[in-house]
Amino acid sequence: MQAIGRKLFPYLAAILLLLAAYFAVAGERRAPADFTFVNGTEIKSIDPAISTGQPEGRIIRALFEGLVNWDPRDLSSTPGVAARWEMSEDSRRITFHLRDDALWSDGTPVTADDFVYSYRRLLDPLTAAQYAYQLYYVVGAEKYNRGQVAVGDRVEIERFDPPSGAPPHARGELLRGTLLEYAEAFVDDPAAGKTELSDDEQRERLRRRVRMYTIEIDGEARRFKTGVAAFRDEPEFDAYEPVKQVLVDFDTVGIRAPDDRTLIFELNNPAPYFVSLTGFYPLYPVHRETVERFGSPDWMRPENLVGNGPYRLEERAFRDYIRLAKSETYWNAENVKLDVIDALAVESNVTALNMYENRQVDWTPVVPTVILPELKKQDRDDLRVAPYLTITYFRFNVTRSPLTDARVRRALSLAIDRPEIVDKIMRGGRTAATSFVPIGIEGYESPDCCQHDPEEARRLLAKAGFPGGKGMRKLTLLHNASEDAEKLCQAVQFQWHDTLGVEVELVRQEWGTYQEKVRNLEYDVAIAGWIGDYVDPNTFLDMFVTGGGNNNTGWSHAEFDAIIKERAPRERDPEKRLALMRQAEEILLAEMPVVPLYFPERNYLVRTYVKGLHNNILDVHPLHDLWIDEAERERQTAPRRKR
Amino acid sequence: MIAFLLRRFMWFVITVWAVQSLSFFLVRLAPGGPFTQERNVPLHVELAQRAKLNLDVPLYEQYFGYFGKLFRFDLGISDRQPDFTVNEIIAAGFPVSASLGVLALLFAVALGLAAGIVSAVFRGRGWDVSIMAAATLGIAVPSFVVASVVIILFVFVWPLFPAAGWGEPANLVLPAFCLGAPYAAYIARLSRTGMLEVLSQDYIRTAYAKGLSTRAVVLRHALRGALLPVFSFLGPAVAGILTGSLVIEKIFAIPGLGVHLLNAALQRDFTLMLGMVLVYTTVLYSMNTLVDLSYRILDPRVELT
Repeated sequence: MQAIGRKLFPYLAAILLLLAAYFAVAGERRAPADFTFVNGTEIKSIDPAISTGQPEGRIIRALFEGLVNWDPRDLSSTPGVAARWEMSEDSRRITFHLRDDALWSDGTPVTADDFVYSYRRLLDPLTAAQYAYQLYYVVGAEKYNRGQVAVGDRVEIERFDPPSGAPPHARGELLRGTLLEYAEAFVDDPAAGKTELSDDEQRERLRRRVRMYTIEIDGEARRFKTGVAAFRDEPEFDAYEPVKQVLVDFDTVGIRAPDDRTLIFELNNPAPYFVSLTGFYPLYPVHRETVERFGSPDWMRPENLVGNGPYRLEERAFRDYIRLAKSETYWNAENVKLDVIDALAVESNVTALNMYENRQVDWTPVVPTVILPELKKQDRDDLRVAPYLTITYFRFNVTRSPLTDARVRRALSLAIDRPEIVDKIMRGGRTAATSFVPIGIEGYESPDCCQHDPEEARRLLAKAGFPGGKGMRKLTLLHNASEDAEKLCQAVQFQWHDTLGVEVELVRQEWGTYQEKVRNLEYDVAIAGWIGDYVDPNTFLDMFVTGGGNNNTGWSHAEFDAIIKERAPRERDPEKRLALMRQAEEILLAEMPVVPLYFPERNYLVRTYVKGLHNNILDVHPLHDLWIDEAERERQTAPRRKR
Repeated sequence: MIAFLLRRFMWFVITVWAVQSLSFFLVRLAPGGPFTQERNVPLHVELAQRAKLNLDVPLYEQYFGYFGKLFRFDLGISDRQPDFTVNEIIAAGFPVSASLGVLALLFAVALGLAAGIVSAVFRGRGWDVSIMAAATLGIAVPSFVVASVVIILFVFVWPLFPAAGWGEPANLVLPAFCLGAPYAAYIARLSRTGMLEVLSQDYIRTAYAKGLSTRAVVLRHALRGALLPVFSFLGPAVAGILTGSLVIEKIFAIPGLGVHLLNAALQRDFTLMLGMVLVYTTVLYSMNTLVDLSYRILDPRVELT
């Protein structure tokens, strides 16, 4: 036996290797697509409710369609599933009229109820949707999403199991009633005996929360409890029935479908941009039957997914490619030109560039900035430069001395030579910042800031008690270890030292730790970036209201808060509203809890035979608007070897 | 031999338990979590996301819950890629990394052995010196440099192969070369050393004395002895090569496993990270066992314990 084994071993090994090699080579080749593009890193999800990124948006916009579409030329709202819409006199009610021929890919019509279902799903706390706040303009939506209830509210109680006969992944059985009493208790309360809680303690405390409700249902008072801790064996909770969640009744939220073709929104305040917001992909509808039948993630598999967009999901290979095929049920199918589109998952921008240069792809949406100066020198007609609604900036931790002093913060800003950083250090691909809100929002003009004035900087610093940087402690500058961040921070470190004599130490943290440190205000100065969600200054300014989720500077300003939270939302006249926004930005730039540095541009390469791809500041390029000039493609590829 | 395999399996289970437990707690000790992202999410959303990922129950419950599912080979849904289960991610990536790895290995073994043998036979002469110089270079130059050079040469200067991608045989050549090159270099050095040692043995002299040709002596009698050090190197090397290379897969946009371990750790994708650690443990352990077995086959004097 052993002897045979010994003799056979080399042959067996060789055969095994050859088989493996055969398997590696013998994959089925897929037919080339009409249009192939690089879509960055593998997308997080195709579920509109939980996706947040650009690459996700490109795919979701192809598979689903919202009430309105954005015209890629000027981002104005054009009819989508809604054929038309109108606003009430006080612009607090918007009525959408759905088209008759909008169909799901299984042939059933898209109804107003589908939207109500999808918006409820987006707002459901259990969905944990990051973009749920986009619907906070709607009456009652925030309360529903945050799970807040008050005595006297009509509430819905969701049990753990779906009602009998319902699909397996439907919501739990619902009971409806009126809240009579509400109480909360904390098991082993970490806050006991403490007056102030850190963020982590606050989280820990909420995890130990048991919420107890007494609710009148059909004239009978019943008791329910929710929370993870509710399952502990504590006699005091025994009288309560454990349920999944208790929310305000969704019927009290201002989203209604009086009939199949009409959808009505009641808004808290007049919000003129709400119509445009329904074209933002988290607000796209999903197909209720498939979601409830298959559950997540199975409903998103190519064989199960039902969408209402211009394309179907034909194939999805993880971290490889997504193949989209034109949907025949789409109402505007005759204007969708490309039949098959491949979106490749390519992590490295340099690899993407190689593939573009080697003519394997037609479009690469991000060009590595290091190579940009080289590409610009070549003077090529397929390189496009577009302004983009984004900013790179520094946060100051205004709770730490000496950064508590606005003069110190302003001095640090005045000492930065932004044009030099953009041109010489970062070598292009960016515009030096002249305000916090990026350039390009129509009708809005930012106040001017961010001049380079070393004299004034030194004067301000001296006035603050640190002439020539003397007596000032060493500051730390936190960054997230990316190559760009490192270069930028080193440049600023040098400029601050050179101009002001301020010593700065760079602190490099990997991404997760960096996020935590910024969140917990464990830094002096930290690099940051922000991409606008919609075309309005508000998307850049509202993060700095007191206690805002993305404020992270400790800065608080009563007048700023009043404008952003009270005055601007109530202003009906769009021009006056933008003037208020400008006032808010002036406050922000005078106080300087943040230092604007530069506005990154979007640089991308796209073949000149690809038509219908327009520059816009949200970098939105709907795939169904694209078409290919075949004659030009022929001309360009003919002299080359066919691959 | 059966007893040996059973014993090894028992140790395997213990190893997996120890490594998984350690990783389970380590990954939870790092700051942040699977819901951390650039945009700060409101507290109520974060708590809901925690609940969704089952991270809000006490740690011991998470621990036992995880091992309960592990026993049923259910690694859960990826925390960061919620469209896929960890099983699916591994099932999609492993064949890709493994088939690329096998090709690279074939290339590495063939080239490395040939070079090593030639080198040993022509010891001290021109061939030997140049092969060993090339091998040293192959070990010293990092793979991203090798990759950049071959891309420039064989994609742009002389357009033979696609720049990156997956799905066609042509896509395999450059990454397999870059992946295999350092291994080939190692194998060349190891087989040369092993060969030189064997060539000075008495039984080789006997073989020559019997009038056998150099070729017969080298290939039939000396090679087997020279293979032993190569095999002990191949165990861990195969494990590494099969589970994919971060650098090569990134440069050539290959949908393998190589990227996951590091990315999952950086992104705090708890479930995927534990799944990847499991894959590494399993592959490394089985390769070591296979190497021990092959020792026994190559050299009857070796006892399995």
